[in-house]
Amino acid sequence: MLIAGSGPAGLSAALAAGRSGARVILCEEDFALGGRLLVDGGTIDGLPAAEWISRTLAELAALPDVRIMSRTTLFGVYDGGTYGAIERVNDHLPSPPEHQVRQRLWRIVAKRSIVAAGAIERPIVFAGNDTPGVMMASAMRTYVGRYAATPAKRIALFTNNEDGWRTVETALGAGLQIAAVVDARPDVSAAHRALAAKAEFPVLNGSVAGVEGGKDGVRKISVLLTGGARAEVEADGLAVSGGWNPAVGLTSYHRGRPKWQDDISAFVPDGAPPGMMAAGAANGAFRLGACLRQGFAAGAAAAAGAGRSGNAGTPPVADDEAFSLTPLWHVAGKGKAFVDYQHDVTASDIELAQREGFESVEHLKRYTTLGMATDQGKTSNIAGLAIMAAVSGRSIPETGTTIYRPPYVPVAIGAFAGHHRDENFHATRLAPSHHWAAEQGAAFVDTGLWKRAQWYPRAGEKDWLDSVTREVKAVRSGVGFCDVSTLGKIDVHGPDAGAFLDRVYINTFSNLAVGKARYGLMLREDGMVYDDGTTSRLADDHYFLTTTTAKAGLVMQHLEFCRQVLFPELDVQLTSVSDQWAQFSIAGPKTRDLLREIVDPAEDLSNEGFPFMGAREVALRGGIKARLFRISFSGEMAFEISVPARYGDALVRNLMIAGKQFGVTPYGTEALGVMRIEKGHVAGPELNGTTTAADLGLGKMMSTKKDFIGRVMAGREALVAPDRQVVVGIKPTDRARRLRSGAHIIPKGEIPGSANDQGYVTSVCFSPTLDQWIGLALVERGRERIGEIVHAHDPLRGEDYDVELCNPVFYDPDGGRQRG
Amino acid sequence: MAEFSWVPRSPLEHALAVGAYGARDAKPGISLTEIRNFDLVQVMARRGKGAELASAAEARVGMAAPDVPKAVSASDATLIWSGPDQFLVLSKGRKHAIDTLSQAFTQSASLSDQSHARVLISVSGAKARTMLAKLSSIDLHPAAFPIGTAAATSIDHTSVNLWRGNDRPDGQAVFNLLVFATFAESLWHTMLDASAEYGVDIGHSEEVE
Repeated sequence: MLIAGSGPAGLSAALAAGRSGARVILCEEDFALGGRLLVDGGTIDGLPAAEWISRTLAELAALPDVRIMSRTTLFGVYDGGTYGAIERVNDHLPSPPEHQVRQRLWRIVAKRSIVAAGAIERPIVFAGNDTPGVMMASAMRTYVGRYAATPAKRIALFTNNEDGWRTVETALGAGLQIAAVVDARPDVSAAHRALAAKAEFPVLNGSVAGVEGGKDGVRKISVLLTGGARAEVEADGLAVSGGWNPAVGLTSYHRGRPKWQDDISAFVPDGAPPGMMAAGAANGAFRLGACLRQGFAAGAAAAAGAGRSGNAGTPPVADDEAFSLTPLWHVAGKGKAFVDYQHDVTASDIELAQREGFESVEHLKRYTTLGMATDQGKTSNIAGLAIMAAVSGRSIPETGTTIYRPPYVPVAIGAFAGHHRDENFHATRLAPSHHWAAEQGAAFVDTGLWKRAQWYPRAGEKDWLDSVTREVKAVRSGVGFCDVSTLGKIDVHGPDAGAFLDRVYINTFSNLAVGKARYGLMLREDGMVYDDGTTSRLADDHYFLTTTTAKAGLVMQHLEFCRQVLFPELDVQLTSVSDQWAQFSIAGPKTRDLLREIVDPAEDLSNEGFPFMGAREVALRGGIKARLFRISFSGEMAFEISVPARYGDALVRNLMIAGKQFGVTPYGTEALGVMRIEKGHVAGPELNGTTTAADLGLGKMMSTKKDFIGRVMAGREALVAPDRQVVVGIKPTDRARRLRSGAHIIPKGEIPGSANDQGYVTSVCFSPTLDQWIGLALVERGRERIGEIVHAHDPLRGEDYDVELCNPVFYDPDGGRQRG
Repeated sequence: MAEFSWVPRSPLEHALAVGAYGARDAKPGISLTEIRNFDLVQVMARRGKGAELASAAEARVGMAAPDVPKAVSASDATLIWSGPDQFLVLSKGRKHAIDTLSQAFTQSASLSDQSHARVLISVSGAKARTMLAKLSSIDLHPAAFPIGTAAATSIDHTSVNLWRGNDRPDGQAVFNLLVFATFAESLWHTMLDASAEYGVDIGHSEEVE
């Protein structure tokens, strides 16, 4: 259970709950425990308050499961017993010690909670109340009583209640002078009158109507006496007490509305979020004895409610001191009388709001900004409501309160971010060859959470394009390799694995032979393309499915949803094996030469022994097993090889050794992208959620012999319209021109506008093979327009140029190289 | 033609520096130990074969697979619940590796090798629970998370299988974390940051507990 506050109610609750065996967290926003006991003292169980606090803390410390968190404010209450707390771990130091944080945000889950957050003293509104030296009475005696600081030498008190007199007692005890007490109540106790006589200060029955002073502080106080006479008091500080408001924030955060309690003229909690109780001053119990009793009862009840039945022992006992209060909110007078000190809202602003018709408290708040500053109206709201009630002829409860919302105190965004900033903004994924690539000086690019090698610069290369061009040429003329471990990899197991894949892919996989791979395309329910990749059949009941890097997690979720919700009748099991395998694409005409160096000589890698789209396990020289997939994304003769991930680093180093004689070249994602564009393969920019299989030129893959996800919706009129934007290749008419993604395609000779916008450029690259820039674009009826010259309009970069629509397969269109 | 050497490299090899880290003014409050060289197999029951798998597991490893979030240990393997009708088999020395287990469970389950897909980190020390409270929303209080309790949860937005092993000889609790290999270095740094204020003793071991 969770307790907010360590005053008499909170400590008493902790004792009862802790003794009962409950797991207790007590949050106290102060650095010291005890709440108002630290200033106002009292006698508990016959001991001075300070001694009782020490004894109680010692007892709590000896209990096994009581945790006390000081400098920690409970600021919010959320669903399911979840609470937010902010711990100011090191805010009291100039800078946090090494290895420590300044603040820490806590999420606390509790079965029960007790709000013993106390009460907040409220001001009385009068002219000149913003003069420095006018303070809350409790604040003034806290300075004197806890911090040995003297806020003024000659103090006047303006109170409407018994509690304000504590400041007089504390000040006199510290040797300060009392100038006068202005008490709005008709009767002042004989004991206080005797104290006044002894300390030789007057007690004036009336109210403070004005303050004379300036930026240097208070000089003189003007008093309106009951009966109409006026008096003046010379003082350099004015303590004000208008009574206390229970801290009803936490109890009201689930849309609770506090209720008015006449005897203390304050709102108190009326119910609370599930599992929560209020106790002590936060519940409107202002007397010490009552705070201890309520706290103890709440602690025992909460522990019992949480199933703890230990002996709570006897509650701490104290007398109930006298309490009396005469409500007083606002004293009419000349000059500005502030209600909300933070937002400079005055009594006359509230009166104006009423005259303008903003009588509702929610309107009053927004019209005047009353209570909208960082303290969220903790000191000002009730006085403001009272003034509105008075001028609109209603009672305070009729006027009502605004809605209470967390956070109870301001919480820095940085506390929510915590560790997640700079390089820790999000988790990072590293491919198995990452540290080898870093040794090579690779440039890395963030791809989702991944760091991927983008290219491998070499000495003498003047920019990225030099490096990428070299890598592409090396692959096309020899052999290179690229870490493709970032692709999502999923084991699809079970007797119904083939049937399952038939439903999630547009093409058929149940008829795929063991030892073969096939390219597959998935649609969303709405008929748009979702993801693509190759899937291999490794056994009758085992397929190895790959996804794009970007969609790896999403596809796994999608497939799990299909398996568990859509097709629970299928016997199929899915496991992500993305991290189990280090996978490299090896591409180029010398791929087989390189592989023969590293693969056991008994393995047949010939075109007959390992044909295009073959997939099987092979032994490597030196004893480990690998999987080989004869698939190509580059258009070259290529294999993908995968080994258990911890061998990925060894594999990449061995590939370098084995491939040295062939000039093996590691290549990054840029070269990978260049070669896929040259080959007309679609990727992320084309699989962008707005394209159909037919748009991508893959419409013929859609089986007509079976059902699959997205089949029906893909047949919608607009998705099969003849004027859809489809993938097509583009080449600039000026061979020297650079292309840019995002440029709009406009018919040649027309002025660009939304009416004649026929598509856009999705992917571009400098093709080392064609020695010019090329690209892919989505263009209306594009495939019917091969050879047409159109206009590329790029308002973002201010470029306009002509391009020719062409076959998107720029390189080896009949595919001889990858099959060879 | 030369034979090639195939030395496995842990995903934490770069980041893990054996020795002390963080505050050094007192005895380290956290021990972080990476366990290397283990066999890990994901076992998922085929449809309707949960009971069959449970008895096959008992026959193979000598104990019933947990059907609630628990980890149970026999002399040479630990079975860690990972979801309904599924569990992980953690062992070493190839006795319960994928190839042998596949034969044992051929009729009742689908298996995937995860030996290289995860990194195993053991967290202990006087401040272990305090540190993990910064990272995990799981209640690790001994009353809520006794020895043998397991959870499939997340830390730093990363999936983690977490279970409490046997206490250390000095009575300190031991929390084992299986984290995805490609996230491991990142999560390792997060754990070091969370642990630094208590002082950390970093090491690695070949011993699966």
